[in-house]
Amino acid sequence: MVSLARRNLLHDRLRFAITIAGVAFAVTLVFVQVGLFLGLLENASVTIEHTGADLWVTSRNTPNVDFAHTFPETLVQRVRSVPGVARADNLLVWFMQISLPTGTQEGTLVYALEDFAAWDLPWSVKEGRLEDLPRGDYLFLDDSATRRFGPFAAGEYREVNERRLKIIGRTVAARSFTTTPISFVDYGLAQELGSQTLRGKTTYVLVKLAPGADLEAVRAEIRRRLPYNDVFTKAEWAKRSRSYWVANTGIGLNMYLTVFLGVLVGVVVVALTLYTSTMEHLKEFGTVKAIGGSNRDIYRILAEQSVIAAVLGFAAGALFALAAAPGMAKAGLQLIITPGFGAAVLVGTVLLCLAASLVSFRKVAALDPALVFRG
Amino acid sequence: MTVLSSRNVVKRFTEGKQTVEVLKGVSLEARRGEIVALEGPSGSGKTTFLSILGCILTPTEGRVVVDGHEVDASRPGELPAIRRRSIGFVFQQFNLFPALTALENVEYSLNVRGRKGPAARKEAERVLDAVGLADRTSFLPRDLSGGQKQRVAIARALAGAPPLLLADEPTANLDSVAGRQVLETFRDLAKREDRALVIVTHDPQVRTIADRVAVIRDGLLAA
Repeated sequence: MVSLARRNLLHDRLRFAITIAGVAFAVTLVFVQVGLFLGLLENASVTIEHTGADLWVTSRNTPNVDFAHTFPETLVQRVRSVPGVARADNLLVWFMQISLPTGTQEGTLVYALEDFAAWDLPWSVKEGRLEDLPRGDYLFLDDSATRRFGPFAAGEYREVNERRLKIIGRTVAARSFTTTPISFVDYGLAQELGSQTLRGKTTYVLVKLAPGADLEAVRAEIRRRLPYNDVFTKAEWAKRSRSYWVANTGIGLNMYLTVFLGVLVGVVVVALTLYTSTMEHLKEFGTVKAIGGSNRDIYRILAEQSVIAAVLGFAAGALFALAAAPGMAKAGLQLIITPGFGAAVLVGTVLLCLAASLVSFRKVAALDPALVFRG
Repeated sequence: MTVLSSRNVVKRFTEGKQTVEVLKGVSLEARRGEIVALEGPSGSGKTTFLSILGCILTPTEGRVVVDGHEVDASRPGELPAIRRRSIGFVFQQFNLFPALTALENVEYSLNVRGRKGPAARKEAERVLDAVGLADRTSFLPRDLSGGQKQRVAIARALAGAPPLLLADEPTANLDSVAGRQVLETFRDLAKREDRALVIVTHDPQVRTIADRVAVIRDGLLAA
């Protein structure tokens, strides 16, 4: 079957290129903006997602995992006695000062447990043995710290809260939303580093359920026994930690606004180029009608053109975004483009381009085929 | 066999508060294999009448029957189907699709008429051969002469075997030699393929191939 839509597009290559460029621009913008946003949000909850806890007990109204508040560490005993709890341990998450070899001070977000391996935290160890952590004044530092702290290696020393600790391992992919590098130390050592503030205190209790235990029943019982704490499932806590940044900073609004503007530009470019193309081909559309074509035939032509522009523009935009990802990673920015997100952008692009073609269709639908007799 | 019958066709156009009666009761018939030349001065209503015969416009009053189907002015949605099934058009400006080759121009009109695939391509090749353009099938309109473009347009009108062909000033944009060739093509095909052909024209050459000449003047058929 002859495709007038395709042939007309290829007949006017410059306009076709402009249309694709417009779509590609919008798609790239959406991918980069939303991808960066997802990357940032993943940083906000990545430690929660990887920790093997079914429930998180937090201090009341803790807004997100980074901004922890303390409560008595002995409360863990009450949690351990709840039927259905297989294991419960204290987790300390706390900002501390780290002194660099240059003499400058930086912040580090310390994660402290008695038994890291029991909670799959950290989940990606590049160098060192986690079980060595309780055996001295040791710490693991995440690779991402290199950007802020400069190069470091196992065997070197750093002062944390004015105490000399030896780096005995490196982790990968442990990040916080605030970009403060994450370090891992033994729970008891962390309390000592925190002196008065953390003595006898914890910031979270991690809870693992016994096989077959009813999560809601266990949670209700913990809430009953710890009335001044909050209890979240892993998913709830991750969502709460992410939502905090969306709701309390401008990044959510910024992301939505940029995506909206990008989409608007794309739709306007497609609508305008299709419209000017349609206006130039009005007589051809009149001929299609005169030889018996219906409005449906006309819309099929416009729809095919907009879908082709959408798919090619999407492909170009996706390639640009994927090509930009490694460069962004070098700058410490994580661009997340999942297959589901890509598919959603493709569907959205096609739908918006089809919607843009409606502007032209309205013009052609009202076209009088008698115009073919006018010279 | 009568392919086209119009009886007392009246067409009025309203512009603002003014109503203009362009056709005041025109009747015309055409049979298979018959060539009718429709002449008249500019503004006489020829093209309006052709548009009504071609089911592009509907008459204000009167009756039009095309290939046994009566045109119902109250159901304009049925007109495209009549055009698809029964009418082939040839336009003064050729109205070929510039992005399509000669073969594709013809094949596309067949696609619109519902014929697709190899059968459509074969029919397009056949009619292009019939108008003497078998060696120009892959040419774009811009690479064809005026006469060749009009012959592609004739092939497009013939494709799908509609019993009625309507041509609007088909030689107006051609020199006299090309115009004569196009008219000969018309005559041969109308007779050989048994189509009724109505040609709206100012060109006196058309009389040489017409079986009948009808003249419209001031919205009425003159004797």
